Amino acid sequence: MIEAHGLTKRYGKKTAVDDISFTVRPGQVTGFLGPNGAGKSTTMRMIVGLDRPTHGTVTVNGRPYSQHRDPLRQVGALLDAKAVHTGRSAYNHLLAMGATHGIGKTRINEVIEMTGLESVAKKRVGGFSLGMGQRLGIASALLGNPHTLILDEPVNGLDPEGVVWVRNLVRYLASEGRTVFLSSHLMSEMALTADHIIVVGRGRVLADAPVADIVARSAGTTVRVRSPQASRLVELLAGPGVSFTSTAPQAVEITGSTAEAIGEAAAAAQLVLHELTPVVGSLEDAYMSLTQDSVEYHSTQTGLSSDNLTDHPGTHAAHLSPEGANR
Amino acid sequence: MSTQTLSTSSDTLPGARREDSRIHLTFPRTVRSEWIKFRTLRSTIWTLAATIVLMVGISALFAWGVTSSTGQGGNPDEFGGLTGANVVTGGYYFGQLTLAVLGVLVISGEYSTGMIRSTLAAVPTRLPALWAKALVLGVTSFVVSSVAIGLSVIATRAMLAPIDLAVDLGDPEQVRILLGTALYLTTIALLAFAFGALLRHSAAALAAVLGLLLVVENVFSLIPLTFFEKISPFLPSTAGSQLMMPQASIDLMATTATGAVLTPWQGFAVLAAWVLVLLAAAAVFLKRRNA
Repeated sequence: MIEAHGLTKRYGKKTAVDDISFTVRPGQVTGFLGPNGAGKSTTMRMIVGLDRPTHGTVTVNGRPYSQHRDPLRQVGALLDAKAVHTGRSAYNHLLAMGATHGIGKTRINEVIEMTGLESVAKKRVGGFSLGMGQRLGIASALLGNPHTLILDEPVNGLDPEGVVWVRNLVRYLASEGRTVFLSSHLMSEMALTADHIIVVGRGRVLADAPVADIVARSAGTTVRVRSPQASRLVELLAGPGVSFTSTAPQAVEITGSTAEAIGEAAAAAQLVLHELTPVVGSLEDAYMSLTQDSVEYHSTQTGLSSDNLTDHPGTHAAHLSPEGANR
Repeated sequence: MSTQTLSTSSDTLPGARREDSRIHLTFPRTVRSEWIKFRTLRSTIWTLAATIVLMVGISALFAWGVTSSTGQGGNPDEFGGLTGANVVTGGYYFGQLTLAVLGVLVISGEYSTGMIRSTLAAVPTRLPALWAKALVLGVTSFVVSSVAIGLSVIATRAMLAPIDLAVDLGDPEQVRILLGTALYLTTIALLAFAFGALLRHSAAALAAVLGLLLVVENVFSLIPLTFFEKISPFLPSTAGSQLMMPQASIDLMATTATGAVLTPWQGFAVLAAWVLVLLAAAAVFLKRRNA
């Protein structure tokens, strides 16, 4: 259980996290979603006491993280895959981390095996690929067999097999009754992994609801229509609250009306319709509509189509390239 | 790659709970963790090995030089009260450089690699990690300096014995110089550590500590202005070196010096005070700053 109350973090004049409150509950995977620079990492760092909140409090399992006598048993955190000395081997890194809590070699070997690091465990971390570093970060997080897991962009840099593995792992850990808090800027990944989603933008909570609710909220009133007489249909339907987007010749997306109303209007005017499809909102659409005003670093608009975020089987790696590649 | 291998899985298992109660943070465990970190880096091994090689090598060269000059008709008494202990510890100047590098890297290496975030996540009260690091560094520096001095004694005995300059452990002054060298080197390593903890960047901390030891202190001692003459004896290395000086040399200094002439232990106390103040500042900043 993670509880944040009025959490605020300012770096100089810049407000990274602005008075946010939320609760992350045990037994489910909670996604923490937002564009780059939305304050996700800062929030996570405040949870484990690496950054001091400017205002507000955050507790883990009822207490501030630093007041637990067994911090690694309470929270396993992957905040930054590079939080490892590059000159030390993965095994020795884990051994040193575990030593602070009296965690022995048996457990070290267990997490190495779990994360598939056996072949590189004795090698120096400096030579690790991004994916290997990520696996080591996850191994460190699991070291104390923690009640609560906080994973910042855990699939970053993993191959498709690794992505599926992380997804199964966090779902399994949540099913055991643990609290799992997972950040991502990838909607598609969250849709597959999380039960509950907290969406942040510009340091504020934009939505905090079960995945299904967030989808439902955006399952709006857009209807796709194809008609040889599309322009006449548009004239017919034009009115306050109704907008049109031409997607192709003779095709138009109509927002602010319903399929029933459009069909009846077309019938009354004797217009031919080739297609009349209510567009079901996807999680991507919900995310985009929630965060479009709060994207910190607007880049070119070309990347903003939801096609970029759609989940194409087998091409996860392309999505997981360094932050920002999706925009 | 199985997700089914979490060992002590359910919290409802009494066995798991009993085992879990032993899994918690303690200071001795934090020290153990820092010791593992310390010994598993190649830079540690290299700097410690270099310390020993330099100290033993320089003392052997020093002994050779003394031997050959006395062989040409020199007299030990003409070396300003030089004792066997001074010949044996003649490599301290280089030993302090390698140990200062080690002291800085022990902490700044964690900042430059990001390791510090793992360290502070495991020890979120932070200060125990700082003290544990200092303890590991201090004890190791003392042991390694002592070993280097011991090896120097052995390496130079054959050369120094014939000219009556062999180390005499029955002489309290020589014991003070031998022990003092190990203490001085340990304290310099901790001084460097404090700089590393304060500045957090390897290059900046190395420049600061080596600049202070090698440049600032020497320049201050050369400037014949009252201000610098008053300040100079209280700079860390200048003050601390008193502990390695034969009493005869200190007495000689007192006849010419315009500034203060500290006794060996006063000098060491000044060096120790520098370290304590800088470490205290590092602790305050560590507690306050974002990692």
